[in-house]
Amino acid sequence: MARERYIKLLLMACASLSFLAILLIFIFILRESMPALTKVGFGNLFTSTDWNPDKGSFGILAFLNGTILTTLGGLIIGAPLGVGTAIFLDQVAPKKMATVIRRGIELLAGIPSVVIGWFGLIILVPFIARITNSSGYGIAAASVVLAVMVLPTITALSVETLRSLPIELKEASLAMGATRWQSIRTVLLPAAREGILVAVILGMGRAIGETMAVQMVIGNSRQFTLSLFKPTATLTSRLVTDMGEAPPGVFRSSLFAMALVLLIFAMLLIFSVRMITRKRKA
Amino acid sequence: MRKNNSAAENYGNRRRRSPSLKAILAILILIAAVTACSGCSVRRSGVIRVAGSTTVLPLAQEGANRFMDMGGGKNVLVQGGGSSVGISQLSAGIIDIANSSRELKPEEDNGRIVDNRIALDVIVLVVNRGVQVANLSSQQVKDIFTGAVTNWSQVEGQDAPVIAVVRDQASGTREMFDEIALDKEESASSAIECNSNGIVRETVGNTPNAIGYVSLGYVNATIKAIDYDGVAPEEQNAKDNTYPLSRYLHMFTSDTPRPVTREFIEFVLSPDFQNEVVTQEYIPVI
Repeated sequence: MARERYIKLLLMACASLSFLAILLIFIFILRESMPALTKVGFGNLFTSTDWNPDKGSFGILAFLNGTILTTLGGLIIGAPLGVGTAIFLDQVAPKKMATVIRRGIELLAGIPSVVIGWFGLIILVPFIARITNSSGYGIAAASVVLAVMVLPTITALSVETLRSLPIELKEASLAMGATRWQSIRTVLLPAAREGILVAVILGMGRAIGETMAVQMVIGNSRQFTLSLFKPTATLTSRLVTDMGEAPPGVFRSSLFAMALVLLIFAMLLIFSVRMITRKRKA
Repeated sequence: MRKNNSAAENYGNRRRRSPSLKAILAILILIAAVTACSGCSVRRSGVIRVAGSTTVLPLAQEGANRFMDMGGGKNVLVQGGGSSVGISQLSAGIIDIANSSRELKPEEDNGRIVDNRIALDVIVLVVNRGVQVANLSSQQVKDIFTGAVTNWSQVEGQDAPVIAVVRDQASGTREMFDEIALDKEESASSAIECNSNGIVRETVGNTPNAIGYVSLGYVNATIKAIDYDGVAPEEQNAKDNTYPLSRYLHMFTSDTPRPVTREFIEFVLSPDFQNEVVTQEYIPVI
């Protein structure tokens, strides 16, 4: 019995430790970003596009814009591809073929982001540069790289959702005389809507947090731009570019404010996943 | 619905029966107590205290690591802060060595500070190999990096957009470039930023019409080094002051340093350290 208790205590210690780690990270980031939030001011930090730490300008809007645009871009390319692949794998493809493709996509999930980024840097950026007569760096390149990275997440989770649907749904639809495509479009997809939404949101989480691959292809300039082919930066890429030698003070603190924004994004995403899954259970 | 075992679903799983709150609290407090003191450091009397320029910081840190690895219980504590902070702390006797990426200013010189030059930093303008230009005047360089010139044809090159590549804001190389080449102006916000010499070289080498700057040690055949005001970026030209994009890195000490401090400076200036470490990014001074 004593042993049982020790094991229980040990497991509890593990759980407490991870909880404590998250708590400490949150408190630490909040505390470190306070100087920026108070000295630069909430408004200036989030509404100014002028990032120039040496001259005392700490506007992060350009990077916020970069994060949002690249994430959306990645999802616009990656989500239809991922969901389409999932439908093909679950409903259309012969079993053997489906297995091969699934393994391939799982492999894609395991490729380190720096490798995908490097690939983007060497193949994608010069390609975009050639067809647009720009430097090739920018939101377009980052979006394609992110699409590759969110594809496995969205595909795998969508396949799981489609698989979990009762077979009777499809059987009933086919029995009513619907074609395969009609069944997929009007019966299966609506039934799997929440699950696919969750898949896309989790893919979004991956895209927002991705750093290395994006940093390699986005160009890391500090300009605000809506152009797809001009270099700009995301929150994560700016963080990793500047953190190495940022002196203590408002500069460093404003980097932590960026981290805080990312953390809040992540929390919102997880919260929305919880809301969606809770609704489905009810 | 059938049971769903997707990751998202598992996410919602939670154990209803929670272990006693007291036990969790006790563990949390214990962990907090253990980790809380990790920041404390005991100042030891034999320690060499080094602070100052963040440009010199990596070099000083590497020197400190190697120095301490030699054994003998030596301890070197290296911090940043900036050249000015380092020098003022040295004058106040708080530290033993002040790292600096600039010369001593007259008002800082109290007659008791000794200058040790530890490395020569030379910045070279480099362009993509497709760029036709082989020399730029200082004014042209300034116009290019501040965004006044946006096409190579404006500086006697081909008709193509200029793509400027610069270092990150905290970089000492950028600090020096902005100060000398741009007259303390900022480079254009559209410039691509890279946070190391190697990445600048990679980016300039792979991007048509790109121009950037790297330390002399990084110049190789993948990029083209160009002249500045007609002066070739060479070691000799930097040493005799004809090539302006260069500076010495310094370690200032008091004129009566402790023996262990003198030993550290001698180590940094030793052929081993100069030829193995300094030469990776800078030009050795011996």
